Formats: sequence, C-alpha cells, structure tokens
Amino acid sequence: MIQCRWCQAQNQPGTTSCQTCGAPLDEKDKVSDSGWREAPRLRDMTEFQFSGSTCQVEGELVPVAEVALHPRDGVYFEHHVLLWKDESVPLSSLNTGGGMKRTIGGMPHIVTVANGPGRIAFSRDAPGELVVLPLHPGMELDVREHAFLVASHSVQYSFVRIKGLVNLLHGGSGMYMDRFVTAGAPGMLLLHGNGNVLQRTLQPNEKILVEPGGFLYKDSSVQMQAAQMPLKTGHLRHGMYLAEMTGPGRVGIQSMYVHHHAD
Amino acid sequence: MNTYICRYCRQPSDPNSPTCPLCGAPVDIRSSVSDSGWVEQPAIKDMARLQFGQSHLQIAGTTVPVAEFNLAPNDWIYFSHHVLLWTDPATRLTNMPMRGAWNRKMAGMPLIMVEGRGPGHLALSDNHAGEVIALPLQHGQQIWVREHRFLCATGNIRYDWYPSDLWYETGDGNDREMHYPMGQFGDVFGSHEGPGLLLLHAPGNAFIRDLQPGQSLLVQPSALLYRDVSVRMSLHLEYPRNMGFAFWHPRWSYRSIWVRLFGPGRVAVQSVYQRPEDTEIIVNHSYATTHHW
Repeated sequence: MIQCRWCQAQNQPGTTSCQTCGAPLDEKDKVSDSGWREAPRLRDMTEFQFSGSTCQVEGELVPVAEVALHPRDGVYFEHHVLLWKDESVPLSSLNTGGGMKRTIGGMPHIVTVANGPGRIAFSRDAPGELVVLPLHPGMELDVREHAFLVASHSVQYSFVRIKGLVNLLHGGSGMYMDRFVTAGAPGMLLLHGNGNVLQRTLQPNEKILVEPGGFLYKDSSVQMQAAQMPLKTGHLRHGMYLAEMTGPGRVGIQSMYVHHHAD
Repeated sequence: MNTYICRYCRQPSDPNSPTCPLCGAPVDIRSSVSDSGWVEQPAIKDMARLQFGQSHLQIAGTTVPVAEFNLAPNDWIYFSHHVLLWTDPATRLTNMPMRGAWNRKMAGMPLIMVEGRGPGHLALSDNHAGEVIALPLQHGQQIWVREHRFLCATGNIRYDWYPSDLWYETGDGNDREMHYPMGQFGDVFGSHEGPGLLLLHAPGNAFIRDLQPGQSLLVQPSALLYRDVSVRMSLHLEYPRNMGFAFWHPRWSYRSIWVRLFGPGRVAVQSVYQRPEDTEIIVNHSYATTHHW
C-alpha cells in the first residue's frame, strides 16, 4: 500500500493520485528549508472520493471542484461559490444561528445544502489552489472566514468568535472563524486558497508570526494571538500587528492576500 | 573556471546548476524569444535557491510565488511592510527611515521600509498572480524600477527615488488635473558596496528586450517593469484618424498615451497592466512626440 503524505490515507499500489484527497503520489513533496510544505497541486481532472461520492478537480488557474453526489450524500457551501448544478439536485438551507453576530461579522446567515443524486460544481473568484482536507473523526479545524469552498454533510459546521479586543481590532482575520468538526464519521473539507498554499506543523509551544491576511486555516489546537511588532507603518501608525501562532498543530497560509493595513 | 553568463541576469553563473544561483532562472531550457525580439523571462522554478552574501532565499509556489529568506547573522534585507507574509520570532524587524516623506505620501508610495536582520527566516509575497524577478546587481550597477514593483533588496543596495518626469494635464481653470501614467516617481536601485540582490514582483508574465543605441520602442506606461538607467524615456501621444466619429462631450478626445523608450539598454515589461481610462483632452504635458493618423 502507498500512504499519502498529505492526508495519510492508504492507497493501492500503482495509483498515481490519492483516492482520498487527490494529492499526486508520484511526486516529491515540496518543502522549503524552514519547513513550509506546499499544498499538493491537484492535477487537472484528478478524482477522489468521500463517502459514496466523487469529486473531480478541473482547471489549474482557478480550479473547479465538480462533485458527483451519491443519493445518500450531501454537501454544504456558501451560495456564491456555486458554479453550476444539475437541475435535479435539490438545494436547501442550513441556518447557521447567531444571526446578528454573523451580520456584524460580514458572514453569510445561511449555508446552502445540496443533496444527491446529481452533479454540482464550485469555484471561487481568484487564481489559487484547492486544498483538500479529509477530516478524521474527532478533528477540529478553524478556517479563515470566506475561505471555505464546500464540506461534506458529515462535517459539523460552527463558527468561533476571535477573542480579545486587540485581536479583533488589529488581527486582520475578521471577527469570526469557521470551525469544522468531525464527530463519529470522517468527512471532507475543500478550501480555496488565493495564490499558493503552504502548510507547516508547529511543535508544542513553537511560534510563528504570520501576516493575518495570509492566514488560511489551523488545527484548533493552535493558539492565535495578535502580536504587536516594534515597527511604524506610517506617520500616524504605530505598531504593526502579526498573528502569532503557537503550536501544536498545523497552520496553513495563502500567498496572495489583501494586507490588513493596506490603504 | 567556466565563463557561463546567465542570459537573463547577465552575470557570470554556474552552468552545472539546474538554475542560476544568482537569479534562479533555469539553466537547462531553451530561450523563448518572440519574432519581434522579446525574451520571455522564465519563472523561477519551485523551491529553487538563490545565494546572496552568506544568506540564501528559496522560491515557493508558482502562482503567487513566495520568497523565503534564510538570513545569516549580519545580513539584512529591506522591504515594504505590506509584503511580509510570515517571520520567525528570531528575525529582528526594525524601521528604515526614508527621505521625502511628504512627497512619498502624496505619490502613494510607502513611507517607511522595514529592515529584516538575520539570523532568522522570513517570507515575502505580493498580492498578484505573477512572477518574482531576481536582479543581481554588480558593484556600481544601477537599475530603474517602476513604482510599486519592488519586493525587497539586500542591505548593500542603495534605494533612491526620482520624479518620473512623464506627465500630462487635463481640464481647465480650477478643474485641472495632473496625470502621471507611470506614477509620479520611479525607484532607482544601485549596488554601492559589492554585489547585491534586488527582487521585483511582476503581475502576469515578464518579457525582456535589448534596445540598440538610438532604437526606440512604444510601450504601455503601466506595463514597464524595469529598465537600465541608460534607457531614456518620454511621452508619445498618438491620435487615430477620425472616421467621422465625434464625441458628444467637447472635452473628450480619442488618443493613446505611450511611453517611448530610447536605447541603448535593457527594458522589461509585464503582461498585466492598468488600462488608461481617462479620455479628456490633454491641455499640457511633459516633453512628448505626437502623431496624428
């Protein structure tokens, strides 16, 4: 068996891409000297499976995720990432709760659910990469708001408020993060990262400072705190803030972002 | 000693390495040249390493590449704070004061640069899909760069900025408006204490061309990426022949605004640029050649 180095799933010998996350199995990992690993570039038309459904990735500049839903499967997503669907695929809504709080945080109130059988496709609106994160039971992942593309119905969705006034005012990561949790069954989460996506695994108490606009996802075990740098960024601006990430756990970043202090 | 000269950075390089250790350009590929003589700048290979001083940098990614620095003690780089992607806590970040703060603020240029000093790691990226361009500069060499294309430079490269001297004016009376099609200022980088490294970010693809003495070329002003300081430039205003079409607004005109580049020297353009949108009649301008078809 071949173990996928991205999602750790086992694959039959001879397979060239992981059946669980689509990562190429016949390419070397791209890891920088300081330990950042590039998220695997999914080959055009790569297929992988979750539950009884299949996802195929099309295109490389702004990739499209085309999902063939099994009759007993469903996926949920923010409605503006829907590219096309079969007419027969039923849509319903999932109320996220926390109405006013989500309005203030600029997040959608309603997440749309699509159920099988049928085909449905998703994409975002910027050059970048699809990041496939199969979630094993018991995993918790925090994702930057508006970065989530689609998740399978077995993944529980909630959102967490970014705590602390300094984090809110200077953190640059918004007011809320999406939190995805798997309980008894595994699930699949697809994100869209702008530009290139890099991931690093922090050891316990290991720290890294990240531009908040570049933050994409983290294990919920990673603590995130706004940290003031001893720098001026303009005549009237004192202090540049970065997001201090403290391990243990994975941190994912995107290389194209709007700087949170950009004029 | 092998005397291979990298065809992109024009510096003595190592032909046995898969990529030029000074600029990251692949050594083992054929040059891609258009019929009109533009040489396509090849993208720096994913995970390629570039050496400078006792330090090195590594390029990660291909869509919006990240320049990840491993800074040795006593080595430092400077950059604008908005391109910092991540840093490890050991890297010392301090401010680098700039002269002419008021003019820079008026021109929309960053007021304060950040110095990153080793030992430590940090990474920089811009926010456009495109390419990182590495320009190693020999002692005494200077290069002109269009504003906002600078990503970072090593500490031994001096940074100056000068008015671009390309402008035109529209409107009349109290409604006059100045336009700077290439920005109000241009950046000039020069290596004064040994060789240094300058990194730019080019949205889209980048193309290089060598102009012969006296040879001239018209390019979109906002597409110019960098040029040798020996290349001169001026405005060129081009008015297509009116085929009976008339603007309903008396202050509008139909024209193209170019920058004319005069050789000798190297020029580089990027394939993503801002399209000029204003159509008001030009009432005054810096030195320009004009052509009415």
